[in-house]
Amino acid sequence: MPKKVTKPNRMSKNHWERRNYKWIYLFLLPTTVIFLMFYLVPVVQVFVTSFTKWDGFNEPVFNGISNYKNLFTSSAFLISLKNLFFWSLIAMFFHVGFGTLVAFVLYQRKRGWKVTRAVFMIPNVISAAAWAMIYRFFFNDNFGILNSIIRMIDPDFDIQWLYQSPWAFWAVTLTWLFYAVIVTLLVLGDLMNIPQELNEAAIIDGAGGWQLIRYIQLPLCRSAIATGVICSLTSRITMYEQISLTTAGGPGNDTMSLPILLVNAVTDYRYGYANAIGVLMFVIGLIMMGVINKVFRINETDY
Amino acid sequence: MLKLKKGMSRALIYFIEIFVIVISVFPILWVIMSAFKTNGEILSSPLALPSSLSPDTFIHLFENYSFPRYFLNSLVAAGVSTAVSLLFYAMGGYVLAKYKFPGRMLLFTLFTVTLLVPAHSKTQPIFNLIMELGLYDNLAGVTLVYLSTGMAMSIFILRAGFLSIPGSLDEAAIVDGAGFLRIFWSINLPLAKGALSTAGILMFLNNWNEYYFASLLTMSDSQRTLPVALSYFTSEFSYNYTQLFAALTIVVLPGIILYIFAQEQVQASLASTGIKG
Repeated sequence: MPKKVTKPNRMSKNHWERRNYKWIYLFLLPTTVIFLMFYLVPVVQVFVTSFTKWDGFNEPVFNGISNYKNLFTSSAFLISLKNLFFWSLIAMFFHVGFGTLVAFVLYQRKRGWKVTRAVFMIPNVISAAAWAMIYRFFFNDNFGILNSIIRMIDPDFDIQWLYQSPWAFWAVTLTWLFYAVIVTLLVLGDLMNIPQELNEAAIIDGAGGWQLIRYIQLPLCRSAIATGVICSLTSRITMYEQISLTTAGGPGNDTMSLPILLVNAVTDYRYGYANAIGVLMFVIGLIMMGVINKVFRINETDY
Repeated sequence: MLKLKKGMSRALIYFIEIFVIVISVFPILWVIMSAFKTNGEILSSPLALPSSLSPDTFIHLFENYSFPRYFLNSLVAAGVSTAVSLLFYAMGGYVLAKYKFPGRMLLFTLFTVTLLVPAHSKTQPIFNLIMELGLYDNLAGVTLVYLSTGMAMSIFILRAGFLSIPGSLDEAAIVDGAGFLRIFWSINLPLAKGALSTAGILMFLNNWNEYYFASLLTMSDSQRTLPVALSYFTSEFSYNYTQLFAALTIVVLPGIILYIFAQEQVQASLASTGIKG
């Protein structure tokens, strides 16, 4: 045993670490390869070829910003930007608002709060493709839930939700509007971290229920709300299944989104054009994130 | 007055709870219910309960279409990619958590910043990569792409898991003469079980449900995963509603069952990383 005692622990760990560099880098190799193959190289490729005309068979030909110019003069693209703008507003105020409301409801820990929390998750654990399909049936004119219920009151009612303007936009919106479980879990997590003394102190100072929420609890979960806003906005940018499997962007271009346009361009072998859309998706995401970080002052600590 | 106000907010709380439960469960119950009805029943009384609970439609689907195949494809693509990438990211997360070496912060930042890249924006390069590897219309190509999808989230979760294992255990093992691999495999990996199962379940669920790349990278019937098969099924058999609802049930149920068994992990980790939604 004396052998071990003479070896100071710190020293041996550092020395040992240096001797094992080859293992350390070997352990990082698989993740690094995946990173290069599926993130770094594709992102660079998307960026560079977005300035070229490229069909995937011939060599890409540099054509400056004409892909971007074409995009900003295409009505489908402009409509999808407009849709993204409105969907983002709706997501920010109603989707995140509803998720936050549910979090505050669950925080009261009244009967059934655990079941509600567990069940709210279900739409999120099943395939987005299947969920889109369920909603396609939900809005079906012949046997869908919605029209069946409405026809109990008004038997002559006839709206093809997914195929008629302007209803299609709202039908697609409804497939995600209330499913804000991520926001709920994030906010609930922050609420549960509030030290109990803080709530008690506020109550002793005479704060009523609403004041407690307004001045203590809501400000303390603002970074969770901000994260929720970011999550819901990024999923608005990448909205694909909900549209592709319900309206496919129609009627006209009423429910067009950037990923749908991107996939259409890829299947038409207009790779440069598709990648210009990819770059814009990335840039829009970054801008949104920057703005939200500023608005919510996300990196400041509260306690 | 105070009492009345309290009663009202209680009513509001229960109303919202019930609303949440209804919108989350009712559409799925309706789908499962409709799978047991005849076409006529679905059209004439969409909201009524089925008159019998015979599993004929499901048996028919499994016998006459390649549903066992799709099921197996989904299981293989999601299972293999999850197992392999879990090992890879555990290795990466382990050294990022426990060792100091040049480039540590840079690599950690690079790996986790991938969270900000929308998967759809990389469509064309990934499509071309899979083409060049000769893996188009091959389940292996889809599986390969799935290796990458959970990177940022898994590195986050696993690194945090390894960080919480006391370093004194490693030092004791070094003193006892254990090598690098042994310290990883026999000491750290078993103790990171929680983080491993969380990351694993999340990746499996995401890959099981993935539709976008699976639909883009495969063409023939034999390579389809369940979500892709479902979308073809819907366009080809749009007149047979019973079968459509049954197919939908087959696609939806496994995820829900997995979730019921792994509820705690899924909720905790989704909240801590804020992925999806």
